[in-house]
Amino acid sequence: MSSAEPVIRSRQTEKEVNGISTQVVCTEFSNYIFIVLTQYGKMGTLISITPDSRSNDISTPAFSTKVLLGKDEPLTHVCAKNLATFVSQEAGNRPVLMGLALKDSTVDAIKQMKEIIKSCQVW
Amino acid sequence: MNDARNGEVFEPITVHNFSERILEQVIHFHVMKLSGGFFLWVGSSPVLSNLAVSMSSRYDSMPSSTLVMGDPSNTAPNSLAQRLAKKTKKQVYVSYSLPMTNSNISLLVESRIKKEVELHPEHF
Repeated sequence: MSSAEPVIRSRQTEKEVNGISTQVVCTEFSNYIFIVLTQYGKMGTLISITPDSRSNDISTPAFSTKVLLGKDEPLTHVCAKNLATFVSQEAGNRPVLMGLALKDSTVDAIKQMKEIIKSCQVW
Repeated sequence: MNDARNGEVFEPITVHNFSERILEQVIHFHVMKLSGGFFLWVGSSPVLSNLAVSMSSRYDSMPSSTLVMGDPSNTAPNSLAQRLAKKTKKQVYVSYSLPMTNSNISLLVESRIKKEVELHPEHF
């Protein structure tokens, strides 16, 4: 055993969103922010959210989402983009890898979940 | 640690870090325990280079495995995920973020992980 200090930083929390227990774990890598957001305790659908690199103008960059594992449905892309865009922007345009397993994906729930992600800031 | 909510068993996610000097190199390990599986990252610097997912299948004695991120010519993440899925009988996510140069190191890394699984099964 050596070096007690881990090279990977992570923060986690557990909160209720509309009565449903919701866990968030944010982990920082130099090339990715990894977020697990789950109401099942499982990884769920894996999505990558990447800022498009083509434009370097002042306007906010566009983001592309890709389902890496799991059901590829439109709502998943919408939720992932909504939840992770601000993280990527705050983290110097780093891509975000997200594990998403939601029972409730209403606008109101997503809004609360964004706040929970903010409370686990590692970037 | 479990309590029932919404009629389900609620298991908190836990995170476990350890590191080991292997062949003159400090290798870091990061484990996230989830319900029914775990995520394991292995690396010497904090880079996420690839991700493989593996789980047992009733149709095959060897767990099925797939690479969802990274260079497909690097077989290390898949084979490590597959062997850990077989050993633990869980769904396993592996990011093997070490340079491809030394193949001896992967065997030593794997035995170090297996040792940790045996010493601290509660983290996996």
